[in-house]
Amino acid sequence: MKAVFIVYNQAHNEKVDFILDSFGISGYSEWNNMKGRGSRGGVPHLGTHTWPEINSATLTIVEDEKVDKLLNAVKKMDEQNTDVGARAFVWDVTGSY
Amino acid sequence: MSIYSSAVKRPLTTILIFVALMVVGLYSLTRLPVDLYPEIELPFLTVFTSYPGASASDIETNVTDLLEGSLNTVSNLKEITSVSSDNTSIIFLEFEYETNLDEAANEVRDAMNFIVSFLPEDAEDPTILKFNSSMMPIIFYAITAEESYEGLEKILDEKIVNPLNRIEGIGSVGIAGAPGREIYVEVDPRKLEAYNMTIEQIGSILMAENLNTPAGFLEMGKLDYPLRIQGEFVGSDMLKEIVVGSYNGNTIYLSDIADIKDTVRDTKLEERINGVLGMRMFVQKQSGGNTVEVAREVKKTLKDLEKDLPPDVKIEPILDASEFIVGSINNLTNALLFAAIFVILVVLFFLGRWRATFIVILTIPISLIVAFIYLFISGNSINIISLSSLSIAIGMVVDDAIVILENITKHIERKSHPREAAIYATNEVWLAVIVTTLTVVAVFFPLTFVGGLTGVLFRQLGLIVTLTVVTSTIAAITLTPTLSALLLRLRINNKPKRKFSYDNTIKKGIDRFEGFYESTLRWSLRHKTIVTLISIFVFVGSMMLLTSVGTEFIPQADESNITASIELQTGTRVSVTKEVTEQLGNIIETSFPEVELVSSSTGTGEGVNFASLFSTSGTHTISYTLRLSEVEERDRTVWEIAEAFREELDKFPEIISYQVDAGGGGGMGFMGNNIEVDIYGYNIAETNIVAEELASKISMIEGAKDVQISRDPSKPELQIVLDQEKMIRHGLNTATVSTAIKNRVDGMTATRLREFGDEYDVIVRFKEESRNSITDVMNISIMNSQGQSVKLGEIAEIKEYLSAPNIEHKRRQRILTVSATPYQRALGDIANDIEQVIADLETPSGVQVQISGTIEEQMESFTDLGLLMVVSLILVYLVMASQFESLKMPLIIMFSIPFSFSGVAIALFVTGTTLNLIAGIGAVMLIGIVVKNAIVLVDFINLQRDRGLELYEAVSVSGRSRLRPVLMTSATTILAMFPLAMSIGEGSEIWSPMGISVIGGLIFSTMVTLVLVPVVYVIFARRGERDKKRKAQEKYDFLNGAEMTTS
Repeated sequence: MKAVFIVYNQAHNEKVDFILDSFGISGYSEWNNMKGRGSRGGVPHLGTHTWPEINSATLTIVEDEKVDKLLNAVKKMDEQNTDVGARAFVWDVTGSY
Repeated sequence: MSIYSSAVKRPLTTILIFVALMVVGLYSLTRLPVDLYPEIELPFLTVFTSYPGASASDIETNVTDLLEGSLNTVSNLKEITSVSSDNTSIIFLEFEYETNLDEAANEVRDAMNFIVSFLPEDAEDPTILKFNSSMMPIIFYAITAEESYEGLEKILDEKIVNPLNRIEGIGSVGIAGAPGREIYVEVDPRKLEAYNMTIEQIGSILMAENLNTPAGFLEMGKLDYPLRIQGEFVGSDMLKEIVVGSYNGNTIYLSDIADIKDTVRDTKLEERINGVLGMRMFVQKQSGGNTVEVAREVKKTLKDLEKDLPPDVKIEPILDASEFIVGSINNLTNALLFAAIFVILVVLFFLGRWRATFIVILTIPISLIVAFIYLFISGNSINIISLSSLSIAIGMVVDDAIVILENITKHIERKSHPREAAIYATNEVWLAVIVTTLTVVAVFFPLTFVGGLTGVLFRQLGLIVTLTVVTSTIAAITLTPTLSALLLRLRINNKPKRKFSYDNTIKKGIDRFEGFYESTLRWSLRHKTIVTLISIFVFVGSMMLLTSVGTEFIPQADESNITASIELQTGTRVSVTKEVTEQLGNIIETSFPEVELVSSSTGTGEGVNFASLFSTSGTHTISYTLRLSEVEERDRTVWEIAEAFREELDKFPEIISYQVDAGGGGGMGFMGNNIEVDIYGYNIAETNIVAEELASKISMIEGAKDVQISRDPSKPELQIVLDQEKMIRHGLNTATVSTAIKNRVDGMTATRLREFGDEYDVIVRFKEESRNSITDVMNISIMNSQGQSVKLGEIAEIKEYLSAPNIEHKRRQRILTVSATPYQRALGDIANDIEQVIADLETPSGVQVQISGTIEEQMESFTDLGLLMVVSLILVYLVMASQFESLKMPLIIMFSIPFSFSGVAIALFVTGTTLNLIAGIGAVMLIGIVVKNAIVLVDFINLQRDRGLELYEAVSVSGRSRLRPVLMTSATTILAMFPLAMSIGEGSEIWSPMGISVIGGLIFSTMVTLVLVPVVYVIFARRGERDKKRKAQEKYDFLNGAEMTTS
């Protein structure tokens, strides 16, 4: 089990939902109106007058074999237009009940 | 959830809400009456008192002074003026605007109650008249007839007036100059004396004979017969056989001693239409009625009714208020349509996409239709104020939609899903959009607070623009994203571009222009001093131009109508006056081909009537109404024709004075265009001399025409001075003598002849040859109580006097006014010259000279306008200060405002337009429109600075990026005003100054916004703004171990 944390410009909202659905991932948590700044360039998403864009984030715990597919999907989504912005991070899940 | 995301997520609901709005709006539109102006209740009351037989000065002391004294206390009273003339006292009360006239009338009535018992016994009770703009007749007809002239009044009454009165919305239909039938019994005084009879006896005999009396009932057999005595005359012929007495056993018939004439009323008034005897019919609408509809209905009905008239009776319209209204409204509607087309073209030009253009222009009908709903609910009409307000708004309502749409397009091009793009893009700019709308509202909403007549006119303008602009903002943040989500698609541009495609032509051009602008901007930033100096120079220069632009109150409109009143020597006989009318008629026919219809009335009507309230009349006066051909069909303007007519009048030595009025003021008779000089002073002779001197000096001033003195020249009057002692000796008193003289000269209404339900007066008097010289009057014999006849010459003398025919008051002081009308020169300039003349004038002590008239109203309105401008400036500043959270930014932005005034000055100067109220309102409006552009620019510069760009770079980049939206919103507003400014034809003079000033101001200020505002921004930018990073470092220096400062 791995945890995949996807942070993305809220303009990607529906696409992320679509990706999760298409991989049959039913469980996830989502945060809206998140502020954030990337380290690979791109504009900050701070929801201010200066930087009006804002992020959403989705955290989902998936089986190991789905991780690569998921990351690949996020990459494709991001490559449509990198100005919009999306990243995904993976870490291990050591336990659950 | 925010309003725009709910809207986008429920597209059907959003669209249906706007469809519902359109349905309600269209329904309102069909129900709206069409009129020239919003209905204005003029705050005037008139108190009319008649005191028959009293001279002007008697009236003044016994009636007017008393009434004025008590009316002066009425609340909300602005000014009290009065005219005391022979027989009548008329007091005009002017109230503050928006006074409730019903309440005022009650108060006036109460105030009068105290004083009525002190009025002379013979004076009739004062009556209060209310005057409202809807009381102006909407159509005048000229009616001419040949054979049927004598019976015309009756024919018209039955066949025209009564049916017309049944039309819905008609207030009343009246006829002026109707001949009227009367039966005159003209007695030969010598025969009367020979038979030892008097006029009074004959009168009472006639009265006694003309009787129908029921005399009870007669019961015969089974029936009950009413008894009746039928003595009433069945025709005027019967009068001849009336036995008036017997003398030496011979019966004397009325025809033995008198001529009986059954004829048209002896009148001193002659109405001619195109030289043919005729009369005038006028139609008034009910208050709140639809002028255009009522006029249309009247014309239609009249066409049917005309068929029943005798063939020689002709009815022709002289003046049709609805024609001017329909013409003006059509003109404005066209202007509105053209404005819409221009706006669509501009949007298409800049966006280059059909769907986007469609979404943007959809806000136009939605916003405009809300204005119709407002007009309908508030009981207003479609009029030139509401329509020109719409023309002004049409260019502004697309602005917000453009901003929103532009941002949505940007997001879609970044491959966002249209629906998400719509929501997030709106989220980014909606606040800015609301703020720019607020600045517009800050300017237009205060317009609704303006008082006075100007306020009545501009309240609608303010509310309509506010409402439409607010609606457009609401539509822009709901409907525009919704439709964008539904209609906009990402364009994949992999097709080869055609040579003349949008991208290859217009877009390239715009891109090149953006490049050019950016380099200009960069140059200006490096040469701040030069740019600033040029700007100051241009501003000062243009303000100098303003001094050579004339001023005026309300522009005059060519209404194809001239009225003229001409006076000959007072006391001229009506037959002499008629000759002049005839000669003038010939002149008009030969040298004024533009005149389509001439209606003249010569002399004076009978007695005192309502019409005499508004015009001086006498046997020596002629009044003319000339109807001209349509504006487009003639070369000379109405003012040129009026001037040419004045020149013709100058050639007549008989004509003492004249006034030629070319109408104007946009059909508002009360909004004249003249300068009045008030001369206060009790002594009539002294003030007359001052007035004469002033009048002759004013008529030398260039452009001052129609110089008139309000007090008529003293007229000769014959006074019968009775000798009390002699009268008493003969057993007579003043009352008997004066009635006797009146009965013989003026006539005694003995009885009435009843025919076909109408009654006609039977008047007994001396025949004409026996009552047209002083000797004749002296020879009148009066029967005393002993039955002896006494000649008037034995008890009285006749003296000739000169008396003032009217005495005017203003603020309870005696006054007379000298007035002048401008021709081809601005009112304000002439006023200045007159001011000079007054200063040089030597006046006797107790005489005060003061300028007033329209110029006074003009000053008041201009003061109002100035205040309004200050209020707007403050409000705009506040709105901006709160948006930028800074006191400095609004100042930078407001630098564009003075330059918009430069633009106004240059535009007015180049087009030769005068600075009037309308142009002034245009200038005030500019405040809101102009800052809008600067806000967009400065806001973006701030944004770039916050994003870390270096100052000059931020300014240049922002300038380039905002050039397109700034040009677009300016171009839509400018082009929307274009048809308004350029229109010619009916009524265009009224609103074109507004168009001209807005266009001039906006073109100029757009240029300034694009160059000067960035320069000023840079100048004002202090260290903090220049180098934000270092400032932040200084503030948070704790990392380097520095002490935190608490300040």
